[in-house]
Amino acid sequence: MQVQDLVTIIPWNFIATICNLFIQIYLIKRFLFKPVNEVLAKRKSLADAQISDAVKTNDEAKALKAQYEQDMLAAKQRASEILSTAQKNAQIQSEELVREANAQAAAIKAKAENDIAQEKRKAVNEIKDEIGGMAVEIAGKVIERELNENDHAKLIDEFIASVGEA
Amino acid sequence: MNVDISGAKIFYTFPFDFPILGKLSISETMVVSWIVIAVITGLCIWLTRDLKVENISKRQALAEMIVDTANHFVIGNMGEKFSYMIPFVSALFATSVVSNLISLIGLRSPTADLSTEAAWAVIVFILITYQKIKAGGVGGYLKGFTQPIPLLTPFNILSELATPISMACRHFGNILSGLVIDTLIYGALAVASSALLGLIPGIVGNVLSKIPILSVGVPAITGVYFDWFSGCMQAFIFCMLTTMYIANAAEG
Repeated sequence: MQVQDLVTIIPWNFIATICNLFIQIYLIKRFLFKPVNEVLAKRKSLADAQISDAVKTNDEAKALKAQYEQDMLAAKQRASEILSTAQKNAQIQSEELVREANAQAAAIKAKAENDIAQEKRKAVNEIKDEIGGMAVEIAGKVIERELNENDHAKLIDEFIASVGEA
Repeated sequence: MNVDISGAKIFYTFPFDFPILGKLSISETMVVSWIVIAVITGLCIWLTRDLKVENISKRQALAEMIVDTANHFVIGNMGEKFSYMIPFVSALFATSVVSNLISLIGLRSPTADLSTEAAWAVIVFILITYQKIKAGGVGGYLKGFTQPIPLLTPFNILSELATPISMACRHFGNILSGLVIDTLIYGALAVASSALLGLIPGIVGNVLSKIPILSVGVPAITGVYFDWFSGCMQAFIFCMLTTMYIANAAEG
């Protein structure tokens, strides 16, 4: 078999090598760089999208938090308002209740005193009537025995005086 | 001992003559370089099969690492504006490495033929010249040869031409010397093993001395330097010089 010289430049080999190199450039570009760069670009865009998404979510969360804090503050204010109003109302109500109770108690007391006085008066009158009756009876009895005008008058006076004291 | 170090085999020569170029013949260099193209393209297709955006396989990680390394190498040496050179430099490097290492499976490296390196170097030379003309115009380019004094013009032209020649010869010389040394080692080991085993008396010695037993193993060790290291190193140097020269040329 024929061989080339060891150190020589064969024009056809030279041309073939140039063609081969350009073919290789195309093939390596088509089968390695294009798909891999596509994937890298895709991954990069995905990462970018995720980052911007995260930033957006973060912003939203911050806005939400601010809103929430504001709401919380308002709610607290409202609660304390309600509480103080309630306290005020309760105080007013309790004062009113006490006043009413006092008034009722006073009314009851006055009525009771009135009743007592009336009862007393009634009792005194009754007693006076009874004493009158008794006096008549006693007088009858004394008359039965011996009617002493002086004794009689003295007795009645004594009775009436003692009853008036009672 | 019979050691034969020759150029690439010629498988077939077409009978008709072309002007200047001579007869077209299919040589070992051409055939092996086609195999190299097939190997590299096959590797690329295998590496980029089933690419995913998330949860990637080791294969895809390797592919991405290769692309990333190529991007960084070219952009780091030449700048962002030369990113269109990435496939060129990568193809050059891949072809060079695979051509250098294909000798490990017993094929003759296409890079052990000066035509191959000469072709690459000429392409690089054309790119260098193109960048220089692009940067300074034709006048600027020609004027550059007379700097710093007109007396140096011949030397400037020589140094300009020396660039591709030195690039081609450096690469070729390293690979060819690797091939020569490998051949010599194989020959020497065959002689050594036949001498060693010939000491065994009788028919056993006669048979064993025909088999170059020492050739198994020892060339693998020397091959680490002469094939692996030298092959990768020369490919790297060639690409490094390519990027450097072209980037320098563009700066004017």
